[in-house]
Amino acid sequence: MVVTFQLNGEDCSFHGDPMTPLVDILRRERFLTGTKAVCREGFCGACTVHVDDEAVPSCLKPIGLVQGCAVTTIEGLSSGNQALHPLQASFEAIDAVQCGMCFPGMVMSLSAFMRDNPHASRPEIKAAMVGNICRCTGYERIVDAVADCLDQARKAGRLAGGIDV
Amino acid sequence: MAPGVERSFTAASTIEEALAARRQGAAVLAGGTWMMRDPRRGGELPEAVVALHRIPALSKVEIEPDHVVIGAAVTHAVLGRALHAAVGFEGLVGAAENAANPGIRRVATVGGNLCVLDFAAADLAPALLVCEATVELETFEGAKLLGISDFLKDRHTLLAEAIVTRIHLGRDLVASAHIRLPLRKAGDYPVAIVSIGVDKDKRCRIAVGSVEPVARRWTALEQAMRASPASALDPERAAELALEHNDFQGRDGKEAEGWYRRQVLPSLVKRGIAALLKTGGLAWL
Repeated sequence: MVVTFQLNGEDCSFHGDPMTPLVDILRRERFLTGTKAVCREGFCGACTVHVDDEAVPSCLKPIGLVQGCAVTTIEGLSSGNQALHPLQASFEAIDAVQCGMCFPGMVMSLSAFMRDNPHASRPEIKAAMVGNICRCTGYERIVDAVADCLDQARKAGRLAGGIDV
Repeated sequence: MAPGVERSFTAASTIEEALAARRQGAAVLAGGTWMMRDPRRGGELPEAVVALHRIPALSKVEIEPDHVVIGAAVTHAVLGRALHAAVGFEGLVGAAENAANPGIRRVATVGGNLCVLDFAAADLAPALLVCEATVELETFEGAKLLGISDFLKDRHTLLAEAIVTRIHLGRDLVASAHIRLPLRKAGDYPVAIVSIGVDKDKRCRIAVGSVEPVARRWTALEQAMRASPASALDPERAAELALEHNDFQGRDGKEAEGWYRRQVLPSLVKRGIAALLKTGGLAWL
């Protein structure tokens, strides 16, 4: 089966088993290894990507369901030659990243959450990240980073339409 | 799947197309959160699947003054948002908004939650039992409506020749609550689930999930509470009645043993009644 979709803004096609998990195509065929395949059961959140702007676990997304969709991975948030996404910059500034395994999934889950919830409280931020497990247990600094990022966005007056992702 | 065999994948755009694929033996693919883990459980993915996500009628929540219709392909996240302000559906919203984790809730569907035969911890099942939902099926012989209790009991047979298309709810509950007990806050399947609702005639409806293999109404407790209505909405008294009328056979599982699932039920009933008392709907009674 041939599946066509947008990947980080570019046209992409896949030829093969339509039940192949999206994460495997990202990592093995597109070499986008920022998306981590860890639990493969939807529990850990390390494989989170955006599909049509929604943060979803790519390990449980068969590629057949991605036909015609727009997929954004952590690599799509910033190319490396441009400014980081505000949340990535905030993670760096607060030194929230430890081993780095959960970090791409955290950013993908929380960037979508920030876009949709620009006035989120700390408990709401914590509720949004219950599906992203950090084995380094650096949760509080991650919450700090999100709260700080939202605060900066508010001060900069970037909240009218939510925060760009 | 045998080497060299190409998997059949149909993204149906109509219910008729989905049913035709089903008739050819295709397995129904909803959000994929259960089926995609088949290989992790030692099983194989089906050779033929039919996906329902492109059928517009199955992705809608219709809210009318006297009833609600939920498409089978509606996700937990969409369901929670759609019914958030609807009085009487607090329990169903709680089930939709607290199952699994946010990423799964954006993908997992209502139909998938009800149709997975070996998933005892489905949150929506007890919540919909309390709503006295009617399940609409499209069968090879035409559409069919079935009470959710009967559907859950017979779904193994029913789903061999049918696809769940919609869930119909009346709006006769004035308040409801959904109490779940996972071992940890996130990700775990609940050890036990108690859904409670009160209807316009002040009758309590109670359903239990995850304790036995299939969710069911707790009729013994409902009858006991009806017999002593003065204490029906007293959390302590309700817990005493739950202890006295606990007729569940707990299932053993990875998360907990059967005796524990059974033993926590009175405490969950107590929490459920306390949660009911905090809702605004009871002021109407």
